[in-house]
Amino acid sequence: MLFEDILIILLKAVDGERTVSSPYHLLKGKKSGQTLQDIGYYKLYPYFGILPKLEKDVYDQAVEKLFQKGLIAIDGQVVRMTGVPVEQKPGPTLLDGWKYRGSEQVFMARLSLIVQTLSHIQQKSRIFDPVVISEDIQRWVKIYLNKMNYKDPAQCKAFKDEMIHSLGAVAVSERQKMIVIQRLSGLKIGGLTWEQISRAEKQTVTDAQVQAIETLHGWMSVLEQGSYPLLRNLLDGLIQQSALTETARRTESYFKNGRKLEEIAALRGLKTSTIEDHVVEMAMNDPGFDILEFMEAALFARIIAVSQSQNTKRLRDIKEKVPEASYFQLRLALAAKGGIE
Amino acid sequence: MNLEKTLYDAYGFTSFRPGQKEVIEKILGGEDVIALLPTGMGKSMCYQLPAHLLEGSVLIVSPLLSLMQDQVAQLKKMGEKSVTALNSFLDPSERTIVLNNLRNYRFIFISPEMLVQPYIKNKLKDIQISLLVADEAHCISQWGFDFRPDYLRIAEILPALGHPRVLALTATATAKVTEEIKKYLQLTDPFIYSHPMDRKNIVYDCRKFSAGNEKLEWLKEFVKTNGGPGIIYAGTRNKSREIADLLNMDGLRAAFYHGGMEHQDRIFVQQQFQNGELDWVCSTNAFGMGVHIPDIRHVIHFQIPTSIEGYVQEVGRAGRDGSPALATLLYAPGDEEMLESLVLDDLPTINEIRELYNSADGGSQLVAQGIIRETSFRVLSYWRTRLTEQQTIRQIEQQKNEKMMQSAKIKKLITLKTCLREYLMECFDQQLVSKPANCCVNDGIEYSSLQSGPRKEDARTSPATWQKRLESILPC
Repeated sequence: MLFEDILIILLKAVDGERTVSSPYHLLKGKKSGQTLQDIGYYKLYPYFGILPKLEKDVYDQAVEKLFQKGLIAIDGQVVRMTGVPVEQKPGPTLLDGWKYRGSEQVFMARLSLIVQTLSHIQQKSRIFDPVVISEDIQRWVKIYLNKMNYKDPAQCKAFKDEMIHSLGAVAVSERQKMIVIQRLSGLKIGGLTWEQISRAEKQTVTDAQVQAIETLHGWMSVLEQGSYPLLRNLLDGLIQQSALTETARRTESYFKNGRKLEEIAALRGLKTSTIEDHVVEMAMNDPGFDILEFMEAALFARIIAVSQSQNTKRLRDIKEKVPEASYFQLRLALAAKGGIE
Repeated sequence: MNLEKTLYDAYGFTSFRPGQKEVIEKILGGEDVIALLPTGMGKSMCYQLPAHLLEGSVLIVSPLLSLMQDQVAQLKKMGEKSVTALNSFLDPSERTIVLNNLRNYRFIFISPEMLVQPYIKNKLKDIQISLLVADEAHCISQWGFDFRPDYLRIAEILPALGHPRVLALTATATAKVTEEIKKYLQLTDPFIYSHPMDRKNIVYDCRKFSAGNEKLEWLKEFVKTNGGPGIIYAGTRNKSREIADLLNMDGLRAAFYHGGMEHQDRIFVQQQFQNGELDWVCSTNAFGMGVHIPDIRHVIHFQIPTSIEGYVQEVGRAGRDGSPALATLLYAPGDEEMLESLVLDDLPTINEIRELYNSADGGSQLVAQGIIRETSFRVLSYWRTRLTEQQTIRQIEQQKNEKMMQSAKIKKLITLKTCLREYLMECFDQQLVSKPANCCVNDGIEYSSLQSGPRKEDARTSPATWQKRLESILPC
């Protein structure tokens, strides 16, 4: 999947309802109420936070290209799709930004240092400059290597075989897998820079990076499900138990203890509106969330009906038809509906 | 005491490199030392070995994060396990662990900003520091090319540490800067070791062209017949990329390197260069630290460097193995303007001075808002507590003059008719004792011994599939 494909998917989802920069915040993983809710409303979980370092001018350039192709136009505050991309629709993505939250970078750093170490040790070279300098990662890898008995050639072979087997099972192109392996290094073999990879692939750097991330997400998912005793441990502590942001999780625990939203706000020194954002996040992620604590069933049904008949998720449009609902109730209803589907 | 035996036991070396032993003996004798040693001459051994013989820990003040990381990595590579680095990149939980175990570290690296924080100072007070090392001590000079205000405050914490002996290390210092180091570190009677700056196996060339594009043409020809390994220093990030692209198009194995690249990519370029997978690295002055390649045959400056000190440091990366190496400086009319703008660009502007003095909260917001650059902020925050706005403006004005003098000094390399080597030595207040046969462009260069010839292509072809690449990384 290329960067442009992702942009089109994101812009299509928010068609006529959000600004042109809303996909940017989503890709960067901005943890604001608005962005988090959009993910739920529009079902954009795969793309959340996949490019935390995306620079605005790189984003703007890619958007500019879509303008030039006549695919999008600005309509007042919002962006609209005005054309249909000629290229084939991309297949289903393996990206899962919501679940992995950037942890693929830690996975890759661990893998890089392990592979580099095995490569040197197995070829009788004991001293080398580590490819990862983070002390956190170094400490983790040291423990891991000792546990796996890294000096044993059979263990090294087992590790490699698991790599080949599990990466082989990831449903992306061979070229995409090559990108990830080119980012690994070993004795007398250096990793390739994004620039070098993208030049050879005749793509942009961002395209190469997106493809690597998609491959890593797919790989991590294969490792989670399959039987890979050595590689599976690389996921240690990387898979989030709760999909909630840290701060929403704290609100949730107060809430489950029976606290009212105003109380939670006072206790945490936050605005009530922020706490409401957290509740919406909870509703989005928890299929068992009881929305009836916040509105009557009839109101909920009315909101959903209007949203569907008008084919909109813009709060302002719905509020016009259901004036008795508060904005919080509207957001909550839409979020919960996302969860029910 | 047999220092050679300690050296062998600790690191497996059988002999010292020039200067090391003198410096170490003085330190062990309890004296303060200022050591001027060129890069690549094993500066760090001057504190490594004493650490094995003195009680307590050695505290090393290091000005740059990247340098600190490299020093830590090098020490660990030599088998030192008891090393830590205190800098702003350490996350809070890790920092707590380190601070509570400080006395267990033989080597503690610290950034100057960290050193002067009261909390850290208190923690350091509780342990025994046997030696304080001011690395890159020329950063103390407010006139210098690398001024770091917090270096001026190192002396403040010496009493709290119980006055350990001090070792000031630098690769580049004139007599004036040496005096400043002495003054600001409050060293009353230090032993000063000054190693000759001259590197006999480096030949100094300078080529003048009538237009900028001729430099490129010459370079393309040159790299065809000279295989490297070599570094091409371009003045800017864009230029480094442009040159690398050009060489790539000619089928050469080149890559660019600059501080704006992501960290992992920078490591990959270093790896490739070290492995011989690359012949040329086109770079800004960011490249060099952490690069330990003995057989670099060429250092080419595509633009005039911004200071003599920087030039000598960059050139000094060539020929560490002792074999002949060539340093080539390229010049075309118009380069001076670029030099001037680069040199003056580092200095705080009048506007930045005003903004900071008029800010209520110390001005840290101004950096976030992009009104003041971080480098300016660091320098100005220091002066703000000591000088009035007018005095600071005057101070910066003086610094500007000093910088113009520096750039005049480096420009002289181009117009000079006499020996370049002699001139470079003069700039460091040293005298040339003997001249090598192959010396510099003004004495006539005999090129044949310097031509490295086209480099042998790597026999390995790059693997066609990811499985094959993985096989070659892990042939087990």
